[in-house]
Amino acid sequence: MITRENSALSGLGRVTKACGFAAVLAVGFLASEKTASAQEIQLTGPLAGAPAVKHERLYRKGRFEVAPGFSFTLLDEYRRQMMPSLRLQYNITDWLGIGVWGAAGVINPTTDLTDKIDAKSPSNPQTWLNVSGNYKDQTGTMQWIAAPQLQAVPFRGKIALFQKIFVDTDAYFHGGLAFVGLKERANCEVGQCVGAERKETFDMSSRTALAPTFGLGFNFYLPFSKGLMALNLEYRALPFSWNRGGFDSRGAGENGKFPDQRITSADQTFKFNQLIGVNIGFSFPKLKVSDVEEEEKQEQAKK
Amino acid sequence: MNLVPGTLLHGVKPKRRRRSHAHTLCSALALSLVLTTAASPAWAQKKKGKAPPAAPATPPPAAAPGGSMDLDAPAPPATPPAGDVNLDAPGTAPATTDTPPVSATSGGICDIDPSACPKESDIKAAANREISADVYAVQQIYALRRHRVEVNPYWSQTLNDQFVGHPAPGLAINYWISNVLAVGVNGHYYEPFTSDSEFNFTNRRATRLAVPLTEYQWNANLNFTYVPIYGKFAGFSDFIFHFDMYVVGGVGALFTRPIPVIDPDNRAFDYKAKVAFNAGLGLRIFFNRWLAVNLEVRDYIYSEQLESLTIARDPQDKSQWYSDSNQLTNNVQAQFGLSFFIPPSWEYRLPK
Repeated sequence: MITRENSALSGLGRVTKACGFAAVLAVGFLASEKTASAQEIQLTGPLAGAPAVKHERLYRKGRFEVAPGFSFTLLDEYRRQMMPSLRLQYNITDWLGIGVWGAAGVINPTTDLTDKIDAKSPSNPQTWLNVSGNYKDQTGTMQWIAAPQLQAVPFRGKIALFQKIFVDTDAYFHGGLAFVGLKERANCEVGQCVGAERKETFDMSSRTALAPTFGLGFNFYLPFSKGLMALNLEYRALPFSWNRGGFDSRGAGENGKFPDQRITSADQTFKFNQLIGVNIGFSFPKLKVSDVEEEEKQEQAKK
Repeated sequence: MNLVPGTLLHGVKPKRRRRSHAHTLCSALALSLVLTTAASPAWAQKKKGKAPPAAPATPPPAAAPGGSMDLDAPAPPATPPAGDVNLDAPGTAPATTDTPPVSATSGGICDIDPSACPKESDIKAAANREISADVYAVQQIYALRRHRVEVNPYWSQTLNDQFVGHPAPGLAINYWISNVLAVGVNGHYYEPFTSDSEFNFTNRRATRLAVPLTEYQWNANLNFTYVPIYGKFAGFSDFIFHFDMYVVGGVGALFTRPIPVIDPDNRAFDYKAKVAFNAGLGLRIFFNRWLAVNLEVRDYIYSEQLESLTIARDPQDKSQWYSDSNQLTNNVQAQFGLSFFIPPSWEYRLPK
């Protein structure tokens, strides 16, 4: 045997040797995982075939949720949008809910850029159409949002905080159609948008924009509340086009990318609006546990 | 014997090695590699229903065929059960016979040695004693990090700069000192990916105001990572995956330069290193014990030297190109990537 093996090995070409050496190294490396694998054998006893979660607390199924909160926008250009919000939802199952989310844009502070434009933008015929004497008053704001939506909850579990606090948590996705009440610079035609010099203010108008809305969030069920309260963090995307700066920036030239001396819907540019929300959810009626319900049914069936 | 796929192949390997033909050897090893690689995910989640490697010295009476239940079944005690006696408590005084035993008819320790039979007062004392439980709330953490190296390639995207985008590929390498604390380095290469946004152009054209802009070349940082939160989720009530949340912070160097906006005809800036501090939050979701996906938001904070808004009499005078005051700048990035943990496996200190 030894002679045959030696003979065979002596006949290996350089490529074959390299191939063999690499494969031996790789196999050895992967085979070294065997010590950990010993820990990975799953038991075939009482847990075999058991569901992933037993005695699951049904935080959602058949429950209503009222979640007041506060949302604010990210990556703001001219104005930040800060909104008290409210979500009303009924959870049909533990993984699917239907509801409506709404917010009121009552706080709209200006950004540093807006303040600088207000203070430093030169007043000349090139800017008269775009920058009024009170620039901050011509910037667009979200007045309100109403979004009927569905919420899917594929993931739920628990987290350990410093190995001391344990919180039931779920992660969800939501999607729907949003109606957004906007206040932005009013349309005007050529010659009507500006006078002989910069206007003190420009006319503003309101409209309702339709936009898809989607995002994801986490619910942290507060342990002391016995299923009544949850802290909720949510990300929401709200992409649509609007004229945030009140500028004439589109409508003429190649592909309409140049100013056309009037304010129209062409000046509404696309913005991937994003919001972060923090909510406190109140759910009712009382929390139930999954297996207990089934066990009670089985008990009654036996009787 | 540990009957997992990797071990089975390992045992077969010597037979194949005896073959004389060189190509057969190569093919066999390659096949082994493929099969082993294909089988390797099995140790993370799957089972083969075989017996565990270590069986208790005394099998429990209701052992399943193959002994697969032995791991969790407690070994029968050497002596009959004695109830909740605090046998482990040091300095426990022997029971006296002046108080009737709690259970003298149970056929236990009270029958064998009445003096050792617990009194009711002993049980109360045992119930009230302060225990130092060696049971952790989360046992056998799914993905141990201690003494492992994490290699984390990722892509980062700017979150707070509307004027210039700073997307970049990045790489982080961490060494986990303990299961919750790591020290490491990370860096980005920004230069070829910098983009002047359309919003910037539109705003400049409409207001006739130029906003000083900055572009990045690369950065490198020394960081510490701490994991205060970890847990598990059930997906669709069908499978379980593990995750952790971490905080990270550190210090490093960021190479930046102004993009000439005020006088682009004359000004050409060189990259300069700036000291940058960083702090962030991250979420890491484990696919298995050595592979995870992570999402992180990190703020790199540094003092930026912006382009001067005025043009000096001598436009070639470089000392006049920069503004007099620096500006504290936050570069907030979202980072999305994969984490590879090396070595890919380990052995738990205690059995399951």
